[in-house]
Amino acid sequence: MNKARRRKDIMRTSVTWISASLAVLVLTSIFVFVFKRGAGTFSWSMLKDDYWSKNYLVAFGDVAANDFAPPDTDSEDEFFSRKFGFGLADSVDKENNQLMLVTTVSALSPLHEGTITTAGPDQGKVMAIPLNARIRRIDYLDQENNVKSTGLLGQDHSAEGAIERLEQEATAIREIYFQSTGGGIRGSIIATLMLIGLTLLFSLPLGISAAIYLHEVAPRNKVTDWIRAAVEMLAGVPSIIFGLMGVSMLFRVTNLFGITTQSVLLGSFTMTIMLLPLIMRQTEEALIVVPGSLRMASLSLGASTTQTIFKVVLPNALPGILSATLLSMSRIIGESAALIFTMGTAISDSPKISQGATTLAVHIWTVMAGEQPNFELATAISLLILVLVLGLNVTVKLLTYRINKKWQV
Amino acid sequence: MLAFKVENLNLWYEDNHALIDVSMDVPRNQVTALIGPSGCGKSTLLRCFNRMNDLIPKTKITGKILMKGDVEIRDPSVDVVKLRTDVGMVFQSPNPFPMSIFDNVAYGLRCQGIKDKKQLSATVERSLRQAALWDEVKDSLQRNALKLSGGQQQRLCIARAIALEPSVLLMDEPTSALDPIATAKIEDLMQSLKQMYTIVIVTHSMSQAARISDQTAFFLLGELIEAGPTAEIFQVPKDKRTEDYISGKFG
Repeated sequence: MNKARRRKDIMRTSVTWISASLAVLVLTSIFVFVFKRGAGTFSWSMLKDDYWSKNYLVAFGDVAANDFAPPDTDSEDEFFSRKFGFGLADSVDKENNQLMLVTTVSALSPLHEGTITTAGPDQGKVMAIPLNARIRRIDYLDQENNVKSTGLLGQDHSAEGAIERLEQEATAIREIYFQSTGGGIRGSIIATLMLIGLTLLFSLPLGISAAIYLHEVAPRNKVTDWIRAAVEMLAGVPSIIFGLMGVSMLFRVTNLFGITTQSVLLGSFTMTIMLLPLIMRQTEEALIVVPGSLRMASLSLGASTTQTIFKVVLPNALPGILSATLLSMSRIIGESAALIFTMGTAISDSPKISQGATTLAVHIWTVMAGEQPNFELATAISLLILVLVLGLNVTVKLLTYRINKKWQV
Repeated sequence: MLAFKVENLNLWYEDNHALIDVSMDVPRNQVTALIGPSGCGKSTLLRCFNRMNDLIPKTKITGKILMKGDVEIRDPSVDVVKLRTDVGMVFQSPNPFPMSIFDNVAYGLRCQGIKDKKQLSATVERSLRQAALWDEVKDSLQRNALKLSGGQQQRLCIARAIALEPSVLLMDEPTSALDPIATAKIEDLMQSLKQMYTIVIVTHSMSQAARISDQTAFFLLGELIEAGPTAEIFQVPKDKRTEDYISGKFG
């Protein structure tokens, strides 16, 4: 090897190495960023809590003071009420508003048995004051049986002051007014699941049947080639255009069901059309893998074309169709642009098919689009999305591996 | 008695004239071997008998194939699905369905709408016995058919075809993917099967044709050069080209 050739080789090799390591570096840094920012916020309560904090007024029927032992983990910031068995601490929320949070509730504390008096479907139900509840006001009875208040809306504006006052004056607790924590993503998780379910319900039968028609039934001619090319083209259309089509055209379809706003149904219609190319393509790939000799065998045994498709071809294409389903799911989880138009950006804690809601991805958009972008929540949701999509893709890889292995014989 | 009578059959794949004016007889309950070099049209003719050529687009056929004396098999009144239950086929490489042995053999019957379990298992047993496979698989009918050896798989394919009690069994180089022992088993099997079925076999192996067939037809470039009893074709061929092919001068 002469020098010039060697130099060229080294240059080319190093370019590939640098590019490859750059790609890996970028990917890793995205993961590291998301994990670092998001992991702190990521918790079980984030998954199961409402996003919007709710106001509760809970009555305790003038439950009398008792004597509770303070918890072992006695911290400087926490103030414990021996009379009623709960601890409070000061805090601030994302917008720097002062908060008073419940940090501990003793096992036998009267705070476990309040009755909701806020008007609404929950009125009259028994409710425990949850941890991290944002205490706004505590109404209590003093020695002369006068109703007095403490808390942020009462006389004291710090946890220390409120607890001190209760310890000195209170003989019984009458009512507590508090806000639930909020900031959870339960609603968006449910909306995402609803969207996945509805979209697959519509798109799988359509896409699979279309693929079967194109690959197994239709003659190979100009028309079917054209249909195939058109479907391929659909796959390249930016999703925001599908969103536009959704609000302008499919909206009329959902209108027929009496839905007059953006809705999960409209989102699922739009996603159905968006996913058709993917499902058709993947299903067709799965059909191609099924050996032609099996079709021949089936036909030579006096099976009709339809019997051949449903008894031999489809069962053998099933793993491929399943991976198409999983890929579609990860597409739905990752989609945002088309859904901003069709499902809206308002986070809903109890999503309904006929109403707007946000999926996880759009939830990120919403919390970042406000005046006070909530980076922590956004990255925590990103973390969840990354894990879900990663899991789905790994499953697809495993399935593909199994299919390939099956036909290698 | 004739199973098939082929009259002036021509076949084109697009512009390729694959069968040129073929006329021949396929006698009943005998083994007829179709021999000739690759691309001579022997497999094409075989696929005409159960109309598998229908599946290939842009195929044009003229001429007649009469079955059992008077039924023109390409007549619109002939139900192709029914025809294929009467003319079974075994392919070059074993192609069992990726399901259990039982389900493989019962497949054709189930497609006919037969659901009666007793009838199914009786037919499965009879077919497997006829295909000389019963003793090897009777204890494992629920095993996946793909787990069988190549030779067993091919016999399973034969069992699957004869489960429908066809009158004719078409075999497209059924032993070309098998080892000599498995080949010998299949050849033995054909001798016993010809009592019940007419067998038409395409083969590349001259010795196989000589061993197993009663009738032989030699094809070259789409034309039927010579047909007749196997002994005559192999010992006193009338045509020079047949002689050259059989003696191994080309092919």
